Amino acid sequence: MKDYRFIGKATTRKDALDIVTGKTKFINDLSFPNMLYAKVLRSPFPHALIKSIDTAKAMKLPGVKAVLTYKDIPDWMGGLPRHVRVLDSKVRYVGDAVALVAAETEEIGEEALRLIIVEYEPLPAVYDVEEAMQPEAPQLYEQFPGNVLPRGIRVFGPNPLQEVVIGDIDQGIAEADFIVEGTYSYENIPNPLPPESPGAIAVWEGEDTLTVWSASQGPHILKVALQKMMGSSNVRSMGSPVGGSYGSKYMSWQYVFPAAALAKATRRPVKICYGRAEQLAAFTVRLGSRIHGKVGMKMDGSVTFLEGDWFVNTGAFSEMAQGMVAVGCGEAQLMLKCANWNLKPKVVCTNRTASGQVRGFGGQELKCALVPILTLGMEKANIDPVDFFKKNYVKPGEGYYWRDGEWWVSKGIDFTNAIEEGARVFGWQEKWQGWLKPSSVEGTKRRGVGVGVHGNADVGEDVSEAFVRLDPDGKAIIYSGLAEHGTGQRSNICKMVAEILQIPLEWVSVTAADSSINPFEFGPVGSRGTYAIGSAVIEAAEKAKKQLFDLMAPKFKVTPEELETVNGMVYVKGKDEEKLPWIAGLGYHGTCLGRGRFQPDFTLPNFMMIFTEVEVDTETGKVDLIKVVSATDVGQIIDPPSLINQLNGCLGSAGIDSALFEETVLDTRLGRIMNPNMIDYKWRTFAELPEMEHAILETPFPSHRFHAIGVGEIAPSPGPSAVLMAVANAIGVRIYDYPLTPDKILSALGKMDTLKKGGRG
Amino acid sequence: MKAFAHINACSVGEVIQLLAKYQGKAKLNAGGTDLLGVLKDRILPDYPELIINIKTITQLNSIEENDEGLRIGALTPLINIIASPLVEKTYSILKEAAVTVASPQIRNMATMGGNLCQDTRCWYYRYPDEIGGMIKCFRKGGKTCPAVTGENRYHAIMEARKCFAVCPSDMAVVLTVLGATLTIAGGGGTRDISVEEFFTPMGNVLVPDEMITMINIPKPSPVASQNFLKFTLRKPIDFAIVSAASLITIDRGICTDARVILGAVAWKPIRVSEAEGFLRGKELTEEVIAEGARLALVGAKPLSKNAYKVDIAKTLVKRAVAGC
Repeated sequence: MKDYRFIGKATTRKDALDIVTGKTKFINDLSFPNMLYAKVLRSPFPHALIKSIDTAKAMKLPGVKAVLTYKDIPDWMGGLPRHVRVLDSKVRYVGDAVALVAAETEEIGEEALRLIIVEYEPLPAVYDVEEAMQPEAPQLYEQFPGNVLPRGIRVFGPNPLQEVVIGDIDQGIAEADFIVEGTYSYENIPNPLPPESPGAIAVWEGEDTLTVWSASQGPHILKVALQKMMGSSNVRSMGSPVGGSYGSKYMSWQYVFPAAALAKATRRPVKICYGRAEQLAAFTVRLGSRIHGKVGMKMDGSVTFLEGDWFVNTGAFSEMAQGMVAVGCGEAQLMLKCANWNLKPKVVCTNRTASGQVRGFGGQELKCALVPILTLGMEKANIDPVDFFKKNYVKPGEGYYWRDGEWWVSKGIDFTNAIEEGARVFGWQEKWQGWLKPSSVEGTKRRGVGVGVHGNADVGEDVSEAFVRLDPDGKAIIYSGLAEHGTGQRSNICKMVAEILQIPLEWVSVTAADSSINPFEFGPVGSRGTYAIGSAVIEAAEKAKKQLFDLMAPKFKVTPEELETVNGMVYVKGKDEEKLPWIAGLGYHGTCLGRGRFQPDFTLPNFMMIFTEVEVDTETGKVDLIKVVSATDVGQIIDPPSLINQLNGCLGSAGIDSALFEETVLDTRLGRIMNPNMIDYKWRTFAELPEMEHAILETPFPSHRFHAIGVGEIAPSPGPSAVLMAVANAIGVRIYDYPLTPDKILSALGKMDTLKKGGRG
Repeated sequence: MKAFAHINACSVGEVIQLLAKYQGKAKLNAGGTDLLGVLKDRILPDYPELIINIKTITQLNSIEENDEGLRIGALTPLINIIASPLVEKTYSILKEAAVTVASPQIRNMATMGGNLCQDTRCWYYRYPDEIGGMIKCFRKGGKTCPAVTGENRYHAIMEARKCFAVCPSDMAVVLTVLGATLTIAGGGGTRDISVEEFFTPMGNVLVPDEMITMINIPKPSPVASQNFLKFTLRKPIDFAIVSAASLITIDRGICTDARVILGAVAWKPIRVSEAEGFLRGKELTEEVIAEGARLALVGAKPLSKNAYKVDIAKTLVKRAVAGC
């Protein structure tokens, strides 16, 4: 493996010192002269028509500058397809926006909300995905009969993947030695819960130019999206350091629109920052996922067919559900070799807070329900799940339909070595005792192991553009719309440029993520930072370097190809006694600008396997996570601590812990989310971490000059199904949904039957 | 947060005067770890006009021992209980409970009196006003308790009638097992009551012009074993789903005295007298302990989603009695 100066070495993140010393300015730290604060009045009903709203008293409160209702809100529309108004005459979940207030202080805004008088006509509500599809079920939208959302997502192309229908199920049935069938669900709608809750500041100049500062994970795509949703407006999107997103703050129109509408109404800057309760009860959660599935298998573990109805509960609206269905369907094929498929998703809306984009993006939601159905077959054939996944995960030369509906063939690598290394580090051979068998028993404590797998072909999704400018003093500036959302990606693209130009890392910087100065950037999603964003930056740096050498070559009387540069000095390869600084070529008044552009490429699947060991107390039903090992192959590590951090992140952000205790609790009589706080929403603290190890291989990928790909997004996704498997093995009984709280464990163990359950309820 | 007046109190007398003057419209702020959240989320129909900071009454931050036992000032922060050699030596169960409360930052601020007086964690009661309005449950003067037919996984399994919220205090559980009393100062003078009698189905016995000043803990038998167990989903931060405290004396193989208390199962810590009586005079074999645990939960009446708490409670009683 090549020994690089920066790549693969641990370097200090450029923003580290500011973050740990509290100097980093997040959205809520920003303030503008004359700025107002936005507050949202939220619905007490899960489903209701607004009969009347009286805002007169609120408007009279000193310090209140605007109160907006559905009657005077701009006609901007979000959602997929466009169906979500900023404010509507109908509310569809408890917490849905009813009115907006802009006030001089947050406190005045809060008091003003209490003075708005609303008369509602409550409507029946529906929460269960299958009940919502029944003919007599309450209808959330006139245009979506049966509450089923139309298929498709235009940005993925004219024919996006919306199901997996391949081969012939009858043939699969004929070939099968046996068929297993089951229903599993992952419907605890965990919240990705970034530490920084959503926030934005909107400022209008003139009638049609809007500047938005936001904590968006993709500030440039936000500009593109807002312009489309708002009609004729010209939007400048300013990215800010993102205090975590995990996908949820990628699309930010839900909270940018209220700020933008109030800023337009008042002609003043308006800031909106959600509180934790709003983030937990009125912002996006994961999709609900339920599968009735049937799998045909041979005794050697090969799958002859897979058939299933996949019910996707997107809550009050679809922010990106059809996109997540597309990617989930693609990812299922990466995991499983099977000639005959009939996996039919239905995206359904219900009366609870909406589901949005969360890392794992459809694939985690699908796998959490689908993999357990496959394990029914593995159990019957007595196949070790590690062997099953090893045999089935996509290999170079094998194909899959990806999100665009096209057939792609893997040009990547074989992950068998990563799987074997992971199993070795975890001690799988020693711990695996067979299906529904504990790995050890000590008194009331039973341990079990489980394994899960995930991967996407999105490391090369979508377009990235970047410029690299060389300055006469040997410094380089990257023009990129990349916002830092916690992964260290902004530092890592600096490492790539420093490596190419052979200059100290301190000499490379990145522009602010300002859409008015930077070229197009889709954003760091789907693990695309390393390959897609990296490729654009690399190309830009290489082109800038070539321009520099073109300028310098005549001075050495050689061709540009014979030149080399280190630390801002240029010389002829092999003859470093004669050197000239960049300024000798660029002059005091000159710069070089290289442009890079990455075009989508779905041929390089990435990979993550998670091994888990749990301990179950059979007398209390408590499940403890003892050990986690993740296994992957990334081609080339760019920055070891950043990668380890990403892999350690598998626990939270609606990841592994969504199998243990993370869940959004919905009271389905009131339609209210009962745990919108950090005590009742169970979020692991740093005081309680399992033993964690990672098996990271570096088999070069045909990606870019550093042969690397990203894996950050997928780090948690194999985890929940692995825990479900581990618990089933520990206690010898299967549980069919998440999370595995003590009531479910004790019930599965038959412990509670001595009591009359539900004596009063 | 809505504005309020704020006063730093210098003496208990001053506090009582202010409480009397404001007639229920003043709230005491000790550590503030509970009160500030209650105010910020606007969970109560009435908002206080005055917040009285009592941390400034420094003489109530004290731990002293005399012949009868331990006297702890109501404003003693939990961190001092954890760090106290006096507590460690004779009243170790106080420390065992205190270290399970919340997080280090909260234990630095939260006081003994505050831990006893904190409001329930029932999530209907605590539902934040900003997401569609607070919930007017029975405890707030409403007609019913929404937990009865709702999401009641953490609610009462014993002794509940109209309100199914549980007492969240961990310190109350261990103070009850130790037989502690509280000194309460008020407009009518000073009174002492046992911790067992302090709680009521809707909160506690304090009237608007009263505050706890002192916690008096009789010295337990030096040979009694003290055990506190708390079941939570997460080790730090969480309030108890169920807790159990025991004080067991064994003489020549026979249990001569047993006090067993269950926490987070009802509106107050529950002393399981029948189980205690059964254990006394017996050798604590596995079978005897199991029968004691069964008896402890005989009166349990779980709701639709909290029958598991009965099993956990039995397990904790068993383990607390067995001392494991």
